[in-house]
Amino acid sequence: MNCLDVATLQMPYLDGELLVDESTGVEEHLSTCEACSKTMAAERNVRNQLKSQLKTAVPQMPEAMRQRVLGAIHGEQTSKQRRRFVGISAAAAGVALIAFAGHARYKNYQRTLYLEDAVSRHAKQYPLEIQRPSAAQLEAWFGGKLDHRVLVPQFPNTTTQGARLLNVRDKQAAYIRYDRPPDQRPAQLGLFVYGDKPGDVDVGELQAPDVEASNGYNVVSWRDGDVVYQLVSDLDEHDVRQLLPSQATKGPLEPQQPTLKSPVLQASPASFQR
Amino acid sequence: MLGFAKSNQTKAEFEKLAAPHFDGLYGAAIRLTRNERDAEDLVQDAVMRAYRFFEKFERGTNFKAWLFTILTNTFINSYRRNVKARSLGEESERQSVEAQFFSSAATEKAQNPEQYLIDRSMSADVLKAIDSLPIDFRMVVILADVQEFSYREIAEIVDVPVGTVMSRLFRGRKQLQKMLTESPEVRETAPIDLNAWRERKKLA
Repeated sequence: MNCLDVATLQMPYLDGELLVDESTGVEEHLSTCEACSKTMAAERNVRNQLKSQLKTAVPQMPEAMRQRVLGAIHGEQTSKQRRRFVGISAAAAGVALIAFAGHARYKNYQRTLYLEDAVSRHAKQYPLEIQRPSAAQLEAWFGGKLDHRVLVPQFPNTTTQGARLLNVRDKQAAYIRYDRPPDQRPAQLGLFVYGDKPGDVDVGELQAPDVEASNGYNVVSWRDGDVVYQLVSDLDEHDVRQLLPSQATKGPLEPQQPTLKSPVLQASPASFQR
Repeated sequence: MLGFAKSNQTKAEFEKLAAPHFDGLYGAAIRLTRNERDAEDLVQDAVMRAYRFFEKFERGTNFKAWLFTILTNTFINSYRRNVKARSLGEESERQSVEAQFFSSAATEKAQNPEQYLIDRSMSADVLKAIDSLPIDFRMVVILADVQEFSYREIAEIVDVPVGTVMSRLFRGRKQLQKMLTESPEVRETAPIDLNAWRERKKLA
């Protein structure tokens, strides 16, 4: 091997990409040729510096992001399971009705998971990122942060305390906290708004929202196209329904029903109504 | 419900294999997309895609290379198009990257607080240099010098011949060296063709 060969093979040699006899050939030449040996050493030095600089320039994944990625795998798993579950039921039973009942129960279970997660995140009172915004400021603040548009509903006798981003399970959600003006009975509401194209959260439209109790909170959930709204509140069911547009009270429950801390189990899931 | 158990097992296996590479995927993604938000979307998409096609992964083969193949394909198919659409072209993109480093820290922070935090903790020069490389060069340099993939693996990941990998790697590194050492004396020799050299040797 001559000087030209060694110069030609410099890069693959330093990258450890040569065949054994090729790199032995390079080394034999280097041991006898001072000029090539110097060039190679200088090149190796530059290469190592470059590598170590590049490696420090590449950041690690932030922990919160890692959790979101893992969360998405979990979410994906559930939709896979759902397909498989429906498939098995239908094939085994051959009766569409059984598949439907199983599917509905599964959807019901899924919805409960999202609901409970929303409740526990609301209860933890995470610090807000934007304080006392107007509705327009709020919509502007969420703009571009999420894949879906965030329309900020206004509820009677409430003011917007603030907002932040807060996941509900695998879904990136807008979280808006409302409270009541000082002259009113104190109450606090947390609204989650998130995109749900796959339909993981099975809830009805605003005209027939689901009201359910979880861990001492009443939660109203409804869907507007691909976007799910979940309102977590410490109000009783009657008062919660009063907040919603009037047609909402024509939902599955009689509006005047006694509501003292009753878990609203009789609110049938929307899937049974269709 | 056999399906449930199997699915849980598959999920656990996938997580165990994939989780150790999240840092690497993210590191590559952020240098490809050049911003944190797109990088997260890219990693998220790539990981989900890998999970959906996990059944197609041949057990015992190189999982890391498989993951990075999906990452680069995802990037090329969607993000690259988006990034191009967003900027007015490679040149203005480069200028904006440079402007970002030369602007005052305060402006920089106001423009993009997340980006500012990441960048401040590392050498701005290296970032500037790597981000200004053309995307094809940037990709192979990251795969070779940060992720330590072999020529053959890189060839499979970006789907070009080994010779092309070598010439891109050669040019990419030379450009980086030029920018980082600021010495005009970095030898600009022609990229080598290993196969041609081997053929010559065989004949000799």
